[in-house]
Amino acid sequence: MIPLAWLSGLNPAPLTPEQTERRQALPAVHSLDDTALNAARLVVVDVETTGLNVRRDNILSIGAVVIEGGAVDLGSQFERMLYRPNHKVTETVLIHGIAPGAVKQGMPAPDALLDFMEFAGECVFMAFHAPFDRRMLTRGLRQDLGHTLRHRFIDIADLAPMLCPEAKVGRGGLDEWQDYFNLSNSERHNAAADALVTAEIALILLSKARAQKIVTLKELNDRLVHWRRLRQSRSGRF
Amino acid sequence: MSKEDIYAQTGKIAVTQNVHGTLTFLLKYSPFNQMETSHLAWMVEHCQLRFFAKGESIIRPQDGPVQHFHVVKQGLVRGERMLSGQTAPDTTFEISAGECFPLAALIGERATRTEHLAGDDTFCLTLPRAGFVTLFSMSAVFRDFAMRGVSSLLDQVNQQAQTQAAENLGAQYSLQTRLGDLAVRAPVVCSSALPIREAVRSMHEASVGSIVIVDAGKRPTGIFTLRDLRGVVADGVVQMDEPIGNVMTPAPFHLPPSASAFDAALAMTSRHIAHICVVEQRQLTGVVSERDLFSLQRVDLVHLARTIRHAPRLGTLAALRTKIRHLVENMLAHGASSTQITHIITLLNDHTVCRVIELAIEEHGEPDVPFTWLCFGSEGRREQTLHTDQDNGLLFETDHPDQTEALRKHLLPLAALINKGLADCGFALCTGNIMASNPTLCLSRTEWAQRFEQFLHSATPANLLASSIFFDFRVVWGDSVGAEDMFAEVLRKTASNSLFQRHLAQNALRHRPPIGRFRDFVVSRSGAAKDTLDLKVQGLTPFVDGARLLALAHGIAECNTIERLRQLRVAGVIQPLDADAYEEAYHFIQLIRMQQHQIQDKEGRPFSNRIDPDKLNNLDRLILRESFRQAKRLQAGLAWRYQL
Repeated sequence: MIPLAWLSGLNPAPLTPEQTERRQALPAVHSLDDTALNAARLVVVDVETTGLNVRRDNILSIGAVVIEGGAVDLGSQFERMLYRPNHKVTETVLIHGIAPGAVKQGMPAPDALLDFMEFAGECVFMAFHAPFDRRMLTRGLRQDLGHTLRHRFIDIADLAPMLCPEAKVGRGGLDEWQDYFNLSNSERHNAAADALVTAEIALILLSKARAQKIVTLKELNDRLVHWRRLRQSRSGRF
Repeated sequence: MSKEDIYAQTGKIAVTQNVHGTLTFLLKYSPFNQMETSHLAWMVEHCQLRFFAKGESIIRPQDGPVQHFHVVKQGLVRGERMLSGQTAPDTTFEISAGECFPLAALIGERATRTEHLAGDDTFCLTLPRAGFVTLFSMSAVFRDFAMRGVSSLLDQVNQQAQTQAAENLGAQYSLQTRLGDLAVRAPVVCSSALPIREAVRSMHEASVGSIVIVDAGKRPTGIFTLRDLRGVVADGVVQMDEPIGNVMTPAPFHLPPSASAFDAALAMTSRHIAHICVVEQRQLTGVVSERDLFSLQRVDLVHLARTIRHAPRLGTLAALRTKIRHLVENMLAHGASSTQITHIITLLNDHTVCRVIELAIEEHGEPDVPFTWLCFGSEGRREQTLHTDQDNGLLFETDHPDQTEALRKHLLPLAALINKGLADCGFALCTGNIMASNPTLCLSRTEWAQRFEQFLHSATPANLLASSIFFDFRVVWGDSVGAEDMFAEVLRKTASNSLFQRHLAQNALRHRPPIGRFRDFVVSRSGAAKDTLDLKVQGLTPFVDGARLLALAHGIAECNTIERLRQLRVAGVIQPLDADAYEEAYHFIQLIRMQQHQIQDKEGRPFSNRIDPDKLNNLDRLILRESFRQAKRLQAGLAWRYQL
C-alpha cells in the first residue's frame, strides 16, 4: 500500500492543453424551465463506484442513455470504464463486478469524464437515487477536471412513488421498481444496463406524468419539491 | 478457477452492453434469430425504445404513411378496425413480444388500415422508415420475412414439425415432392410378346420389383410385379416361356408427373398396389414403387393396408394398430400435412372396420338381409387421429314395414359383435352409445329418413347435439346407393330449413376459442386441467361446426372439414382469403394435436387433447394464438350471418 495514497486525489495530474480546451468548450446547462418534457434532452445516468462513501470513493464506470422526443435512442449510448491507478479490490467488486483487470484497461479519468460531459451535452440528468450519482460526479469532475457540475438532476427514486402512489414496492430500490414494472435487466450493476432499465422506468413515468397533465420540466420539478416536503412533514410527525 | 479469474469473469465488459441485451432478446424470435448478427446489430443501433401506456394509440390510419417499423419488446398491441355497420371497432389481431408491425403498410408506403393500440403497458423498438428500407435491402432473411408476412411463419412451423419427427427416423424428404422428381430412373420396360423368363431376367438385372409392358408408342399396357411372379410360380400352370402379356395386370394404374408423392401413397394404400406408373401424354416416363416413397421407413403403407384387409383373426388386427402409429410418425417426418395424415388414418381405419365386419360375419353367419355400415362424426368426416372412438350405425332395406322389427332383432347381435370387435382393435366404445348395436341406430332406410326428419323439426338440445354427429355421414361397408339417396334428400331439406340452420348456428357458437380479448390464452383455472386448454373442443370444433353448418345450408354433400371449406370457397360463400386462413389455422391446430398424441403414445400416457400453451415454443404459441383468432372470426361471421 502506498502511503498517503488518499492524498493523490487532492493533487491530480495537471490537464493537458487539449483537455483544458475541451473542458472550456463543455456545453451549457439546461435548467428546469418551461421546456416540454417530450422536447427536453434527458440523460439517464448510472455510475458504478469503488464504494458508497461519497467523500472517499471513486467512479469506476459511467453508463448513460438519452431520452429525446419521448424515446430512448439505442444507437446513442454511453459507457466508459475509468482507469484508477491505486484501485484496490474491495467487497464492492462483488456488486458491480468490475475486475481489477478491467479497471486497468479503463480510460484515464479526465478523458472519460470529458467524453461523458460532451455526450451529455445541454441536458437534464435523471438517475435512480440521483443525489448519489450527482455527488459522485460532482467530486469526480472537480478532482479530475477542476470542473464544477451545474447540471440539474431529477431523481427517479422520488419520481416513481410520486407518480405511482398505488405501487407497493417494499424498499423502493431499483430492483423493486424494475420488478414492479416487469422490466428485465440484461446485466444488473452494469452501468449501461442499469441506465437503460432506469430509462425504461423513466419512459413509463413520463407517460404517467403526461396523463396527470404535467407538461414541462418546471411543472415536474415543482411537483417533486412539493411531494418531498409533504413526505418530510409526514415522517416528521411520527 | 482462481480469484483473479472469477473477477475477470464477472467483470467482463461489453462496450455495447445494451445493444447486446437487446440482441439477446431479439434472438429468441423469428426472423431475427435467422438474420446475420451484424445486420441485427445494425438494426438495434438504429432503433429507438418507446413506451405506450395501455390504451394509447400507436399508429392510426389518419396519421398518413407509416413512419416506423415496430417490434414489441414487452406488452401487447391490438389491431382495431371499424367494420361497416358496426358501432364498436373489432379487434382483428393481437401482437405480442417478439412480433413486429406494420409490414404491409411500410412496404406499400401507405397509412395503416388498422389502428394499432397498446393492449397493455407496452415497450416497442421502433426503426425509422429509412432504417427499415436499409435493413430490407441489406438482409435477405429480413426481406423474405417482410414480404411473406405470417405465411413464412407457418412454413417454419411445418419445417420444424418435420425436422422434429425426422430426428427420430433419419428420413428427409417431403410427401409434397412431385412424382416426376421422384421417378428419375428410366423404367424397366418390355413388349407383351417377351417370354416371362426374359422379362423376369430384366427385372433381376435391374434389381427392381416391377416391369411395365408397353406398346410401340411407349404407352403402358400392363404391369408385372414380383408379387405376380410369386402367383405364377405357385400356380405352376403357366410356362416360363409364355409371353409376359398372358400374365401381366392390364391397364395399370397411373398418375401424371405433377402428382405428389402423397397422391401416390394414397393410391397405393387404397388400391393395395406397390407400383404406380408415371405417365405423361399417355407415354410412360417412370415408375414409382412403394420403396421409392418410403425408402427408410419401418412400416410400409401398402403392406400394412393389405395385411389389415386379409387379417385372419381379430388379434392380428389389434396388433396391427401399433403399426399405424409408426406410420403416423413416419408421415409426420415426411412432411405430410395433418389432413393427409388424418386421411390415411381414416383409410386404414376403414380397412380395419371392413375386415372386422367380415370376420364378424364369418363368426356369426351371413345375415338374412344385406346391410350397410354407416359412420358418423370424425370418422364420417375422414378426420380420425390415433385417439378415436366409435360413432356408427347400421342401415338395412325392407319393403315391408311390419318386417322391420324382426330384421332389427336379427341384425342386432351381429352389430354388437362388430362393435365389440372394433373395441378390441382399439376403437373405444362410444360413451354416448352412438353405435350400431343400439336398437335406435340399427334402422331401416325409412326409419333413418324419419330420424333425420326429427332432427330437422324439433330443435331440442339433444337433437342439436346429435345433429353435429349425424350430419357428418359416410358409408364404410355395404351397398351405398340407398343410404346416399336418403342422405341427399336430408341435405335438400336442410338447405331450405332456415330455422334449423339458425339452431345449428347457435350450437356452433357454444365452444369459444380459448383466447381472451386482451390476454393471451384462456386456460382452465383449477382442477386436473389447470393451465391447459382443449385443442379439439375449443380449437377444432368451431371450424368443424362452422363448416358443417355452411355446407348443409348450401347443399354441399362433402363431410370433410377442409373439403367443405374449399367447396364453400368455390361456391362464393366464404371469401378466398378467409377460406385459406381458416384452412391453415385448422391444419395447424390439428398438427399440434397430433404431435402431442405421438408424444403421449410414446410415453405410454393416455391420449389427451389438453395442452398447456406455455409449454409450446414461441413460434408455435404465436401461430396457435393466430389460429384460434381465425376460429373466432369464423364464429363472428356465423353470428352475423344468422343474426345471433
